[in-house]
Amino acid sequence: MKDVCIVGMGTTEFGVLDEGIKELGITAVARALRSCDVDREDVDALYLGNFVAGMLEGQETLAPLVADSVGLVGVPTMKTEGACASSGIAFRQAYQAIRTGVHDVVVVAGVERMTNAETPEFTRALGSAADHDTDGATGLTFPGFYGLVLNRYMHEYGATREQVAAVSVKNRRNGVSNPRARFRSPVTVEDVVDSRLVADPLRLYDCCPAADGGAAVVLASADVAQSFTNAPIPVLGSGHATGRSAAYRYDDLTTLEATSLAAEEAYGEAGISPSEVDVVELHDCFSAAEIGDSEDLGFFEKGEGAAAVAEGRTAVDGELPINPSGGLLAKGHPVGATGIGQVYEVCLQLLGEHENQVEGAEVGVAHNLGGSGAVSTVTVLGGPSHV
Amino acid sequence: MSESPPSFPAQRCADCGLRYGHGAHVCRQCGSEAFEDAPLSGEGTVYARTTIRIPGSDQQGEEPFEVAVVDVGGAESVRVTARIEENPGLGPDDPVEFVERRNGVFYFRAV
Repeated sequence: MKDVCIVGMGTTEFGVLDEGIKELGITAVARALRSCDVDREDVDALYLGNFVAGMLEGQETLAPLVADSVGLVGVPTMKTEGACASSGIAFRQAYQAIRTGVHDVVVVAGVERMTNAETPEFTRALGSAADHDTDGATGLTFPGFYGLVLNRYMHEYGATREQVAAVSVKNRRNGVSNPRARFRSPVTVEDVVDSRLVADPLRLYDCCPAADGGAAVVLASADVAQSFTNAPIPVLGSGHATGRSAAYRYDDLTTLEATSLAAEEAYGEAGISPSEVDVVELHDCFSAAEIGDSEDLGFFEKGEGAAAVAEGRTAVDGELPINPSGGLLAKGHPVGATGIGQVYEVCLQLLGEHENQVEGAEVGVAHNLGGSGAVSTVTVLGGPSHV
Repeated sequence: MSESPPSFPAQRCADCGLRYGHGAHVCRQCGSEAFEDAPLSGEGTVYARTTIRIPGSDQQGEEPFEVAVVDVGGAESVRVTARIEENPGLGPDDPVEFVERRNGVFYFRAV
């Protein structure tokens, strides 16, 4: 098996953007290629994650269209889809292709355009990630799924509404200094608990905003990585797992096992334990999600995640900084771009170049989750000294 | 004394006996494609509840409404995603009973 490194990266802002879906992909890929010494001829393949371009823009065949537009001629391309984990899956597939010697250099992109859609179109498109026959038919939305999760979590572990609100407060505070974020203003606990109910007990400020955006990285085998950059970021481990297909399928709704399974695989491959992680970008589509994710990823005991946030243990200067970028709650959630967007933020941390830099970050984790916990990818990245 | 609720229309795998609340096409335990009706008691318990205030496109105008994960059927219970009829105060461990299945959706009410 070959070792794999990230040798280049590029992104757009996440927010309300004018560009179409193809242009967002082109911009992200072109920026990633420009960030390193990879020539077009060096690239063996392009994998692109996207969720709803077909439904919202009537544009499919995105991977080859983007590849041709940036001058990648003749290479194999494909689109991967797994709802909010679409580009985490693209990353994983590219990683596997290099690891097994099929390719040496692969561009991985994620892209989504969402803010131009009318609300009914938008909700239908997002809702397509739920199981139509069961959760969907009953009227359970994604905020509703996490409303169920939080209702059960508070019942079992006695977490308070204020502790949960601390997730949004932290992430919005982190987003203030991130120029890539959609929301760049802070909120208070009172703002969150007084905001309007969306899916009890979740309120508006517990929910991430939709966004448009694209992000891309260039992956290369470690044998050739040094020829493209003097600061390659090694991929220390990768995991990808399937979870439950609907709310009723969980024996324990406070644990989304796709995450714990993917994390176990990624940590095992990296040869690390969760206690060795310095910085995390995880899938905080809702405040309740961040608390559950932080436990499923092994950073806190079950039931302790909410108190950990409220006590500042996951702040940028805390013992384990979580979502120093502002996460989905501040950056926004351009669904298909989110997974690579997280990888981008972790890379900046490991290069020591982040606006909310975590001191001495040497091991970082990116965690991407799709559907009702249906699919997850976890990626462990190391600083350049790990090569 | 109140009447017992209608029985809940569960199914079971005809080969291995695994019970299903929501229907299945293939048994996830043994792979069989054969199912048979196996009704259960309509008495249930709420596992988790939310109130949907911003619905998806297929439920516009019905808001607010309660969705819950419910364990139904007593000792042989199955877990389902269901609607709760107008009772936003219900929460985990509260008893409910089956009302009916309408357009493929299970409806429960507070006991």
